[in-house]
Amino acid sequence: MDSQCVSTLPRVCGVLLESGSSLPDDTSLEKLLDWFTTIAQTGASLLEACPCLVDFVSKVAFNHASGSSILSFTLKLTGLIGTSEDGFKVLKECSVLKLVFNPHHWQEAGLWGDPCLRIGWIQGLKMILQHSEALSFFAQEDLIEPLLQLQTDSSLFVASAANQTLAQVLLLCQSLSSVGHNCSKNRYLEHNSVSIETTQNYSGIITRVSEYLNKSVVLKEISQLPGCQQILRLLAMLLVQVGPPLRDTLLLAVMNSLEELVTTSCSQLTVPLMDVILAANSGLRDDFVPKQRLIRLLWVMLNMKKPAIVMQAAAAVLHSHHSDPTFSAHSARVLLLPLDIVTGVSLLDENSTEEELRILITEQLKRKSCISMICVCLSNIPQITLMASDHLPCPQRLIVTAVLMLLRLCCVDSSSSSAGCVEVVRFITGNSKVQKCALEALLVLSKSPGVKMVLVDVFKVLTEYLNSPSSDPSVLQKSYQAVIKWVGVCPDLSCITDQLREGFIQAVRKRACDTRWEARDSTVEFLGHLGGAPSCRSFTEQETEPSDVFLGGCSFTVPLLKEALQDPESYVRASSISALAQTLTPSWQEGAALTQEQEDIVTRLQEVLFQDSEGFARRAAVKYFIAWLSACSSPSSCWLLMQSVPTVLSQGVNDLDWEVKLHTLELAELLLDQAFPDPSPSHPYAVMSDQAHRLHIAGQQSDLLSSLKDLVDRGVVSALLCGVVDCDRPVALKACQLLLKLRGVVCPVMGNAADTRVFCQLAEGSVMQQVRKIQAMGKDTYVVSEACSEADKEGICASVDPERVGVCEVLRLLDLDEKLSILTQSSDHIYNSPLSLLQDILTAAAASSQPGRDLHQELVMDCY
Amino acid sequence: MPEIKVTPLGAGQDVGRSCILVSIGGKNIMLDCGMHMGYNDDRRFPDFSYITQNGRLTDFLDCVIISHFHLDHCGALPYMSEMVGYDGPIYMTHPTKAICPILLEDFRKITVDKKGETNFFTSQMIKDCMKKVIPLNLHQTVQGDYNMTPDRHLGAAWIDKCRPDILISESTYATTIRDSKRCRERDFLKKVHETIERGGKVLIPVFALGRAQELCILLETFWERMNLKAPIYFSTGLTEKANHYYKLFITWTNQKIRKTFVQRNMFEFKHIKAFDRSYADNPGPMVVFATPGMLHAGQSLQIFKKWAGNDKNMVIMPGYCVQGTIGHKILNGQRKLEMEGRSTLDVKLQVEYMSFSAHADAKGIMQLIRMAEPRNMLLVHGEAAKMEFLKGKIEQEFNCYMPANGETTAVTTNPSVPVDISLNLLKREMVLGGPLPDPKKPRTMHGTLIMKENLVSSEQALKELGLNEHQLRFTCRVQLQDPHSDSDTLHRIYTHLKSVLKDYTIQHLPDGTVMVESIVIKVSSSAEDANAKVLLLSWSYQDEDLGSYLSSLLKKGLPT
Repeated sequence: MDSQCVSTLPRVCGVLLESGSSLPDDTSLEKLLDWFTTIAQTGASLLEACPCLVDFVSKVAFNHASGSSILSFTLKLTGLIGTSEDGFKVLKECSVLKLVFNPHHWQEAGLWGDPCLRIGWIQGLKMILQHSEALSFFAQEDLIEPLLQLQTDSSLFVASAANQTLAQVLLLCQSLSSVGHNCSKNRYLEHNSVSIETTQNYSGIITRVSEYLNKSVVLKEISQLPGCQQILRLLAMLLVQVGPPLRDTLLLAVMNSLEELVTTSCSQLTVPLMDVILAANSGLRDDFVPKQRLIRLLWVMLNMKKPAIVMQAAAAVLHSHHSDPTFSAHSARVLLLPLDIVTGVSLLDENSTEEELRILITEQLKRKSCISMICVCLSNIPQITLMASDHLPCPQRLIVTAVLMLLRLCCVDSSSSSAGCVEVVRFITGNSKVQKCALEALLVLSKSPGVKMVLVDVFKVLTEYLNSPSSDPSVLQKSYQAVIKWVGVCPDLSCITDQLREGFIQAVRKRACDTRWEARDSTVEFLGHLGGAPSCRSFTEQETEPSDVFLGGCSFTVPLLKEALQDPESYVRASSISALAQTLTPSWQEGAALTQEQEDIVTRLQEVLFQDSEGFARRAAVKYFIAWLSACSSPSSCWLLMQSVPTVLSQGVNDLDWEVKLHTLELAELLLDQAFPDPSPSHPYAVMSDQAHRLHIAGQQSDLLSSLKDLVDRGVVSALLCGVVDCDRPVALKACQLLLKLRGVVCPVMGNAADTRVFCQLAEGSVMQQVRKIQAMGKDTYVVSEACSEADKEGICASVDPERVGVCEVLRLLDLDEKLSILTQSSDHIYNSPLSLLQDILTAAAASSQPGRDLHQELVMDCY
Repeated sequence: MPEIKVTPLGAGQDVGRSCILVSIGGKNIMLDCGMHMGYNDDRRFPDFSYITQNGRLTDFLDCVIISHFHLDHCGALPYMSEMVGYDGPIYMTHPTKAICPILLEDFRKITVDKKGETNFFTSQMIKDCMKKVIPLNLHQTVQGDYNMTPDRHLGAAWIDKCRPDILISESTYATTIRDSKRCRERDFLKKVHETIERGGKVLIPVFALGRAQELCILLETFWERMNLKAPIYFSTGLTEKANHYYKLFITWTNQKIRKTFVQRNMFEFKHIKAFDRSYADNPGPMVVFATPGMLHAGQSLQIFKKWAGNDKNMVIMPGYCVQGTIGHKILNGQRKLEMEGRSTLDVKLQVEYMSFSAHADAKGIMQLIRMAEPRNMLLVHGEAAKMEFLKGKIEQEFNCYMPANGETTAVTTNPSVPVDISLNLLKREMVLGGPLPDPKKPRTMHGTLIMKENLVSSEQALKELGLNEHQLRFTCRVQLQDPHSDSDTLHRIYTHLKSVLKDYTIQHLPDGTVMVESIVIKVSSSAEDANAKVLLLSWSYQDEDLGSYLSSLLKKGLPT
């Protein structure tokens, strides 16, 4: 640990003791604890590193003057110290442990009612429960009782932490019992840390927990509901975490209560109850007696007379990936029932056992609550599709048909009528919640086998949604996503008829000028995705781009996207730029001739870079050129691209938005990589004569020189030199890395040769100041402090001829290695360093204690 | 008795991230979804696992309502919707929806820059989240920061005497009476002026949008009045965009600004110019507004480093700074700062803190409570000790609660069902001389309450209630030049529409009208100009779209 931290910590502890109440910044204590935790996790002894902590903890514990946040912090810190056995012993010896973890102590002080203190107590306790000594202490002090009381605490946070701590207690009992059990066999029990007395303690704890659970899993009156829910959550967690035989013991203890609870048919308990039953059921031996009782419980839940409970139970079964296919198949049937009833598509064969449920669900579907029931059904379709086909109640293709039918019924403009439950239609028509759920389901169903037959229907329904004036923007977005998904999984798009294409074109054209920016943006994004979708087969059996099949290709898309470049909403402008890049990429890859349209786009993008007030659009514009340069097979022959690059670089690197600057540097990196491609490695044992070597070097020098000149002419070097002194760290870091790369390639080969032939113009700014200052002082490795006075800088700059400088000289003069090491450590290393934290606590406490120095300029007084 | 349950997941007895869960009438509503800027890990976001075990928030929550655009009220929204996966409705006002993504984007850029963090929401996520937001005219009668003193750009909070079952209020300044706004403003201007006069530079790091706007208006007015020449700059496009939105939502700002707007837009500044980073080295006095507001990265930090060494300069911190930032350090009096590369920076410039915080003080909170007369009061967004004090005061008049984070407060309600009263019954009551209904003096009235659960056709309903049907029709006059007779013009219209509207029913009726669906078109000649025709269009509200379309189509004239 930093020696400065060691010397500062005692003063901080003193301040914490004196301040009494919380610090001005409520995060300081948490961060302090984080730092201590980091020290403890590295394996170092916390007490050795910070010996003053025990004294601090004792003083706080014996003196109630501290506020609840300091007390809570102290309790957690005590736990952290006690995590190691050594620390635990020290705390025990100075009687701190007993006092700190005695709830009566805090109750008598009137502090136990504060949830902040209770949280500290539980978390401290959880931290020490790592070894047998701690468990013995826990048992001897009878801490199980207060811990059990906190399981249903009025605070969600306290109850949840108490649940986890109880699980920790049981896990520790379990692991230590197994050690004790093994040791008793080899007759070395007396030498082992686990004594008989301790083993008895464990069984006492387990018995008490079992009793508690059995007593708590009850619901006699509605006021017990929150507590019962919390206990069920606890039970589910315990059953997942602990193993046999402890797991069996707990299960046997609660079995009767669980059976009784199931009979209450309380819908609010369904989810936690199912979690318990399913957690208990998984991995249980078949010969274990409660197994059959659990299976019975599961059947009871799945055959309740309340459809909402049955649906939730079925969903829980599917989510748990229950091993018994009978349950999964039954659950799938239950979940598909509402879809079957609403749409009239026969998904399920006649089954008398479900007849009663069908009647109940049909009744339910006639009420407004049908929405949530249909949504539960739809949101579980992904789980159903994961099932083996022989356990599915029907082919997946039929489910697609039913979902499409449902989508038609939900669509306001559709004239479809249901062969199923007619009453439900008035609730679901135009309901965007159902529409979104159904579209989500349709997205997943695109992977289903045999869906080619319904392809036309899918695209027809989606076109209807895209065309419908009443479609919500989020519904439109999902519809577009569904189109892309279905296009992606269907290589054969021969089914797309002219009529369907017309429908699409009409929808897209309409949505591109929707009054809602959300709809316009989704449309533009869709055009981009469609442009980037892999090619597929059309009805003429030729490879075609999906955008050609659906929208007739670039002649439709590009003008629409060009129009969107003028959109008043910056998000849409940015999306249209990205979409244009996606759409034009294939033509760039093919090296197709430039069109007037592309020239117009470039002009417009340059305007965006210069004038757009929004970073999104400017970022997208730079990315457009990156995409172009990456895709272009022969960039140097593309005059428009090469002509635009210097403008993009000079404008981009001076942008207000650091991400625009960073993308500009990525563009510079591409140019750098193209100028200096990685040389193919020569054979390590290749023999080369001196003359050949000289010629080789000379050839290299001339190649490099011309590439370097090119880079300078295109503004790459200027952009990098501008970026390296940027105030935004990521920009400076990237530029520094690229300059180092350039130095690595150029300087070893060129020596000083380049300096006489390749110059770069330095922009007015701190790089020029740095270089001039170094030149003037005649030092090679001098880093100028940015904080040097203005007069100083002016003097230096004036004394040196402000001519251009050689590239290699600049690269050598700037201490790029030192710069890189500073920039690589994020600026966070200062602000979040432990020393910074300790100093902040000291100064904040000092500032707030100074009389008359009220930072907040507030008059604190009795105002009534 | 039905209950309303309120559980703060954040802002319960603290001033961190605001996130309050309200369960009412079987619905679960989340009020605000804020972020704690003081943490760099998951602790900055509310922990939703407490309310739903399986992580499917959409199943549990019915909606999210965001009170306003400050990050401690909306900062966790993209995390919730795009990373945790909440897909339900999110409601906020139009201005909040417009400004919220700017602040989120700004904070994302600073976070990713500062930490190089990747586990944070992206630009795309902010956009996708905003696409899910449903804007509406939401009166801030729910919990949210408010101020009872009008700002220079926003009006004071008000509330109807609606006697809600529960009123959730912030209590940041629960024990404070703040000195008058005017005093604070005078003090601020004095400090800026003095620095400028002695040739120094003033740096004002800004973060919250509202604050920047208010200070700009203040300085602009002062510069105008004093005829000052020193330049004032804004460092980034952030606030330019915000100004754009303030202009757009002028109707949401206070009355004074709206009045002034008639003469000139208050947000179009004469003295305030865009900043270029090279200006920082210019000699002479200047005032610069720069982001971020806590001096921990970017432009404001760079300018601070340049100016910190000169005792003629001044930095004015107008808001909260989290621990670890330079802002926090200098506010607490640190004068030697460790910078990158183990160098140190001597802070010689003057450091000032100005509270322009957009919160009500204790008096304001009491004022609002008395306005609304709630049955129960619940305090959030404040420090526990101060809240306790205010709670004591409130309890002299109202029930009051202050749950800690994670604690649930349940209040029983007496649901009242509003019903309409028929005009006839009301008139009869007046004739009988009884007082008119007054919420303060409830009294019994005799009448029959008609409740119908079943849906019937409107014709049947009218018949049953003995009411006449009223048709609402829109009318529009379109003037066009057509040197033909009225009947010819009408026929030409018929033919034109027939060719344009292929899928519609178009009839040329013998009474001299053309009908397209419910739209009636008549032609009459203009009295002044024989060649001019006046087309009279009329349509029912069901055909509003088509009617508007036809009127604009006919305005373009008929094909020759």
